[in-house]
Amino acid sequence: MSLWDWLFRRRQREEDLDEEVQSHLRMATQERIEQGQSAEQARTCALREFGNVALVKETARDMWGWGWLETWLQDVRYGARQWRRNPGFTLAAVLTLALGIGANTAIFSLLNALLFRNLPVRQPEQVVEISMLDRNGQTSSLSFPMFEEIVRHEKVFSGTFAWLGDATFNVEVNGAFTQGDIWAVTGNFYSELGVRPVLGRVIEPVDVNLRGGSPANVAVLGYRFWQRSFGGDPAVIGKSVRVEGLPFTVVGVAPKGFTGMGLASDPDITLPLTAEPLLASQPLEKLYTSETSDDFWLEMAGRLKDGVTLALARAEMEVLWRGVLERTVPAKYDAQQRASYLAARVDVASAAKGMDRDLRSHFTRPLVVLLAIAGLLLLIACVNLASLMLARAAARSHEMGVRAALGASRWRLARQLLTESTLLSAAGAAAGLAIANWSSVALRNLMDVPPAFHVGPDVRVLGFTAVAAILTGILFGLAPVWQVTRQDPTRVIPQESRTIAATTGRFGKALISAQVALSLVLLMGAGLFARSLHLLRSLDPGFQREGVLLAQLFPRPNGYKDMDNSVYYSDLIRRVRGLPGVLAASLSPLPPGWVTLMPQKTVAAAMRPEEASRADVAMVSPGFFQTLGISLLIGRDFNWQDNERAPRVAILSRQLAQQLFPGGAAIGQHINIGEDAKQQNVEVVGVVTDVRLYDVRNPNVSAVYMAVLQEGEFAHYEALEVRSAGDPTVLASSVRQTVDSLGREYVLRAGTLSYADDVAFLNERIIAILSEFFGGLALLLVATGLYGLMAYSVTRRTREIGIRVALGAEQQGVLWMVMRESLGVVMTGVAIGLPAALVAPRLISSMLFGLTPTDPLTIGMATVAMIGVTLVAAYLPAHRASRVEPMAALRYE
Amino acid sequence: MGKKERYQNRIELLQGTLDMLILQTLQWGPQHGYGISQSIRGRSGDVLQVETGSLYPALHRLAQQGWVTSQWKQTESNQRAKYYRLTPAGKRQLLSEQSRWAQMVNAVEGIMNPAPEEGQP
Repeated sequence: MSLWDWLFRRRQREEDLDEEVQSHLRMATQERIEQGQSAEQARTCALREFGNVALVKETARDMWGWGWLETWLQDVRYGARQWRRNPGFTLAAVLTLALGIGANTAIFSLLNALLFRNLPVRQPEQVVEISMLDRNGQTSSLSFPMFEEIVRHEKVFSGTFAWLGDATFNVEVNGAFTQGDIWAVTGNFYSELGVRPVLGRVIEPVDVNLRGGSPANVAVLGYRFWQRSFGGDPAVIGKSVRVEGLPFTVVGVAPKGFTGMGLASDPDITLPLTAEPLLASQPLEKLYTSETSDDFWLEMAGRLKDGVTLALARAEMEVLWRGVLERTVPAKYDAQQRASYLAARVDVASAAKGMDRDLRSHFTRPLVVLLAIAGLLLLIACVNLASLMLARAAARSHEMGVRAALGASRWRLARQLLTESTLLSAAGAAAGLAIANWSSVALRNLMDVPPAFHVGPDVRVLGFTAVAAILTGILFGLAPVWQVTRQDPTRVIPQESRTIAATTGRFGKALISAQVALSLVLLMGAGLFARSLHLLRSLDPGFQREGVLLAQLFPRPNGYKDMDNSVYYSDLIRRVRGLPGVLAASLSPLPPGWVTLMPQKTVAAAMRPEEASRADVAMVSPGFFQTLGISLLIGRDFNWQDNERAPRVAILSRQLAQQLFPGGAAIGQHINIGEDAKQQNVEVVGVVTDVRLYDVRNPNVSAVYMAVLQEGEFAHYEALEVRSAGDPTVLASSVRQTVDSLGREYVLRAGTLSYADDVAFLNERIIAILSEFFGGLALLLVATGLYGLMAYSVTRRTREIGIRVALGAEQQGVLWMVMRESLGVVMTGVAIGLPAALVAPRLISSMLFGLTPTDPLTIGMATVAMIGVTLVAAYLPAHRASRVEPMAALRYE
Repeated sequence: MGKKERYQNRIELLQGTLDMLILQTLQWGPQHGYGISQSIRGRSGDVLQVETGSLYPALHRLAQQGWVTSQWKQTESNQRAKYYRLTPAGKRQLLSEQSRWAQMVNAVEGIMNPAPEEGQP
């Protein structure tokens, strides 16, 4: 019988079989009557000869081949009935599993999106990115001439394309300003990726006139941007959007879910590549002035020809690369720059999973750690449920004994129990998926990853959840199976169901001890992360973080046109300082605490290069030290006359000054910073205290401060720091107005420096928050598990306790008796868990700051928390036991 | 595991023989379950009694293998009964069972009644 027949014609087959048997009996009876027997006698004889009708039918049915499915469905029906009958237990169990499986699924969803998901483009595995590695191994984009040279000579790609992505520009739609993520692409960008528009057309080769002529001013909108700014209006085609003040005509809308060349990118507007220089107010020639361009701004990818492997493509690119470099050396380079340029190497890597290297390197490890912690939580939940199931199995041992006595094999009983537990875990997994769906998005937002990063479930996530559900179901179902299949029906059946439970005691206690041990490991991890974050936060960066407003500045369209930087910025600072409540104000290109800088080799002019010290280079404005509360030890601060026309000057941190000029007297000396020709032989004009400006974790406090204004016309500040006499956030609106009033820039966002810390410690914060949450859940599970076990044990022993009280036992004595039992269970768990809790955190030692993985304070706190919570959980049943009325207890049974 | 293998695994001497006997009986034309059991009993001179507990599972198993098909018909005495009929695959199966049977009979015979070996005094 086919599965189809089994599913839909089974009833018919049953009736058929029944009729077949009946017809056999009729014929047999008929024949006997013909031989002269009475009708009744004939019928009886025929039946006797036939044998057990039900058994015959059952064996015949087995031949249809779907018996296992039949019995399995029976098991499922029976299991479902069991769970319906105990709604409280079922709800608690499903909720526990939903949280456990949901947490694991949510974290796996993010890992899946980060590591396993491909770009939503045609045959993503064929797409490779081509970039450049400079002398220091830093990845860099290419110049336009490099791109052209590669296109001209390569033979491994069926198509090559280039783009500038993730650039933020001013966008004006219907008179309203927003910030847009602008991409500028070659004409074949969309066609090579196989991306078709949902509306209109995409950027096409005709739009990108790389050789002279005016570029087409056309724009393709991102789906989300189209929804956000135009309400999804199909009549958007032909309308105009202004990017950085320049008008572009909308010709199409990209499909939903298209994320450019990154999984977390979200191109709001895509323009022809030729539009990009215009946005930056640069001549179009920037694109194709070969030999002179040292502007490395272009990202490049190619689609491998059929049969070409990544290794082959890499090999060919490495052969080509030398020639590409030699033909594109900017003519203006001197010998040293030239050598540096020619030392660059080419990097060819798969772009199938998007160009999200930073995202991956940043979040993979924290997520793996979180998944391990969540896995531990699920394991604890399993053990917790196992002990609950064990108690239920004890209550059902009578039933199981009867079934065994009636001929059910152990395997059959085990299958029944495992079906029941898997049913429960499947329900938990279904609820867990819903939780995961919500919490993976919440986690993504917590990680500050843009919403374009799709973390929804796919086949892998669903598979992960299914495997988790089945494994948990089997894991917590095994305890009762072990219990039931071991018991002897002849002993179980005569007993009262209540007295049997005594046998589960030892196993049940072992399960609680296991929970305590596992939870202790989890708590230890959570405690380490929490303490580590606390230590990071309480680190003294050496400057005053409180009381500073941080405003992020952004240029208006053409805001920097014809601008004298030193005039504008000194004017801005003078006005901000004049605002009421402002004590000091300054500027820097990057917000303190926000990023880590590349340390540069710095050396005193008189020293040999081998003696160089590594120092962070920070570009600041006059007043920076005063605003952030950094003391000037000797010499002078920068002033507004330190601009590109004045000789270069630098201010050193104390540590660097001592390293470079051990004899003292750094003022007036000269230093060389890195390899940039403009930063050689710079005069030291001041020394300030050591601070951890950019990364509080960095033990190296050597720093060189330089004045940005000396960098020339393209040097701009992005961060405006304002020291306030009171709450800095109240200054936000007046600072905004001041910046607006000058007409060149505006404030993109304003916050406190502490907020910048939150960004800097993002990973640590996420791990600490989630592991604390999981640790709390684990404690809750242990507490409910112990409470359940002890409450059950007290109920069971009511009679015994009654007798003890009747014989003169004190309330205190009874209380202590029960508490001692709980304490024994907990301490066993602690004894097992402590060594594990001291060893396991070694795996995360590199993620801890300022403490060892065996931090005694943390292990102490975790142990105390564990014992404290479990004692509270054990006290309730113990208290109840101590209040047992002897008479009531003795009449109990 | 294919159907064939599963079937082979179940073969025990008696059961395999029953299947063969059913197929052999059906060679003479379609027959219902009761008729098959009567026929086997009659042809064996009442030596072989087919248990219904074996007969019906065997018939359903043979149907599952595709060696017989079934159809409801009226009997001569106007009873409704399910008639089984040999399929072409069933005929082939019967032939192979027959040759296996012959081999086995010879083998068993050789053990039970060894022929006097030539060349021995």
